[in-house]
Amino acid sequence: MNYFPEEVLEHIFDCVTSHKDRNAVSSVCKTWYKVERESRRRVFIGNCYAINAERMMARFPGLRSLVLKGKPHFADFNMVPPGWGAFVDPWIKALAKACPGLEELRLKRMVVSDESLELLSTSFVNFKSLVLISCEGFSTDGLAAIAANCRHLRELDLQENEVDDHKGHWLSCFSEICTSLESLNFSCLKGEVNSAALVNLVARSPNLRTLRLNHQVSFDTLLKILVNAPHLVDLGIGSFVRDSNAEIYRKLKNVLLKYVSIRSLSGFFNVSPRCLPAMYPVFMNLTSLNLSYAPGIHGNELIKLIRHCKKLQRLWILDNVGDKGLRVVAATCKELEELRVFPSHLEEAENAAVTGEGLVAISSGCPKLNSVLYFCHQMTNAALITVAKNCPNFIRFRLCILDPQKPDPVTMESLDEGFGAIVQSCKRLRRFSISGLLTDRVFLYIGMYAEQLEMLSIAFAGDTDAAMGYVLRGCKKLKKLEIRDCPFGDKALLMDMGKYETMRSLWMSSCEVTLGGCKKLARHMPSLNVEIMGENEMDNIPDDETQKVSKMFLYRTLIGPRQDAPDFVCTL
Amino acid sequence: MSTEERRIVVLRSSDEEIFEVDIDVASESQTIKHSIEDDDSGRVIPVPNVDGHTLAKVIEYCKKHVETPRSDDRDAQDALRAWDTEYMKIDQNTLFELILAANYLNIKGLLDLTCQTVADMIKGKSPEEIRAMFNIKNDFTPQEEEDIRKENQWAFE
Repeated sequence: MNYFPEEVLEHIFDCVTSHKDRNAVSSVCKTWYKVERESRRRVFIGNCYAINAERMMARFPGLRSLVLKGKPHFADFNMVPPGWGAFVDPWIKALAKACPGLEELRLKRMVVSDESLELLSTSFVNFKSLVLISCEGFSTDGLAAIAANCRHLRELDLQENEVDDHKGHWLSCFSEICTSLESLNFSCLKGEVNSAALVNLVARSPNLRTLRLNHQVSFDTLLKILVNAPHLVDLGIGSFVRDSNAEIYRKLKNVLLKYVSIRSLSGFFNVSPRCLPAMYPVFMNLTSLNLSYAPGIHGNELIKLIRHCKKLQRLWILDNVGDKGLRVVAATCKELEELRVFPSHLEEAENAAVTGEGLVAISSGCPKLNSVLYFCHQMTNAALITVAKNCPNFIRFRLCILDPQKPDPVTMESLDEGFGAIVQSCKRLRRFSISGLLTDRVFLYIGMYAEQLEMLSIAFAGDTDAAMGYVLRGCKKLKKLEIRDCPFGDKALLMDMGKYETMRSLWMSSCEVTLGGCKKLARHMPSLNVEIMGENEMDNIPDDETQKVSKMFLYRTLIGPRQDAPDFVCTL
Repeated sequence: MSTEERRIVVLRSSDEEIFEVDIDVASESQTIKHSIEDDDSGRVIPVPNVDGHTLAKVIEYCKKHVETPRSDDRDAQDALRAWDTEYMKIDQNTLFELILAANYLNIKGLLDLTCQTVADMIKGKSPEEIRAMFNIKNDFTPQEEEDIRKENQWAFE
């Protein structure tokens, strides 16, 4: 193979797509390194502060598609003060200069400005796909620039972003000659869009397969859209409220009877449950259903609906489905692989909400289950042990008991044994979130058994520093560790400083680590950025070394301390 | 020249082996196809970069793919894929010779198939395992290797 022409090597490498595999390929020998770096089209950067744009482009000059991730995961729970960082602007400026062939950009937890979006829209002639997940800092003006200038746009996917909505002419900015749209998701936007413009856009996009509307899009408009887009595979319904016009309802029913292509449904922000039967033919073919924004669907209507979903592989739902509803899911959805049960925060929900029984039912009824996110008010060890026995194939298991440090309500014991059973049974577990009353013991189990674990989330758990030590020493593949409100201090933090060079990041907030401990770590490990911050933007950085640090976020980096940190963040 | 004679093409491998091949089968190779178009005299077409053992294997592929009618039928597609899988059960040496032949002869389907096979062998392996598998010399200095490993793991994973 030492004598293969480079074009042949490139042809082989074209079939090697995962980042890990391409990284391995690049390390084989000098020729492979050269060919691989010149031919890598898709680049993944898990921490935007681990490297900079210039160095990325020096390594991969042929880049066409970039994934960038910014803020730590706990930003989703408002634990990272605004202004912390993760600005995409310098990346887009650098790419605009040196990478005119850019086609795809996918950003998660980054700050994106309208100026960035505008620059993006005019700098890359072949730009095809923009995906923004949990981002902020932009308005619909930025979206208007994307719509107007990206003539070959195939995908505009906005998930869970904080967008300043200047009320909807952005959609009308799509040029009449733009007919390439395959995927459009604006479900997170708050404002109205021009209905006529929307219907027109759909009508001239023959390749449209994904369309997720926001709650402002009416039933009437939905009908017009469906008539014009008979090949949709993924539909996010805005409002599903039936006005008194029975004619429209009948038309919808007829359209949906012929609608055989839909496999994924979401939305239903406002729902008249009586409209749901019109959708039953669609439910029969669904593989993915997201009702987590549809508190209007509950009780018997919800159960009736679920009974139609025999092919479901992914289900996201609110906890008002109750154990009763979950038993129906278990009996009906034999292909289920992923379940997420979100808290509905409704008063009635506390009584009807889900418990260990619902989870046990799912675990025994759904043999293909491998990913669970479950919010509940209580959990027993017995339930977890049964679930562990039924489901040895979990890849992701996240259990969030809403009251911190809640014990097993039957035995009043900690939940160490229950979570321990999960980790011992599920040899392929990569992501784990634990909650409830937990001692050092559960960490001992995690360190012993969680050999594939990459991401661990801990809150209000453990008794001593030893606990954190078990995890750091035992979990060889750990990449991300996030800890809040646990009694872990400097001894735990400094136990194995080299470990942090093998991980992407560590978050610790409201723990026992002190300024002195963090400083010592930063001194010993110059390859890490050890950032400390106050509770919010106004907080002062402690100057007394014995003082506890409110929030610490550390990560390995190739480029040293960042220059864009705000005043309330101090890199030690 | 009669129509009958024109349907056969004669190929000569690097080690002087002669193959009589249907013109449609030979034309799966863009290289040979252009050769025929340029010179229609019916002489022997030399294939100097490919030995007889490999050329026989190439012809086997082309024959099967020419004979199999293009079809939207799932079963027919599965059957052809199964044939390709069996066909690929060869030693590493033959595989590499086949890749080089497919590249030189410009046979897209065969190049795709053989490269995919090698790619599948690479997936999930460490650099050391890849080197061992393909007998590739590590020509990095330890520092170079460490720098690349660090950049890969810290930034691009």
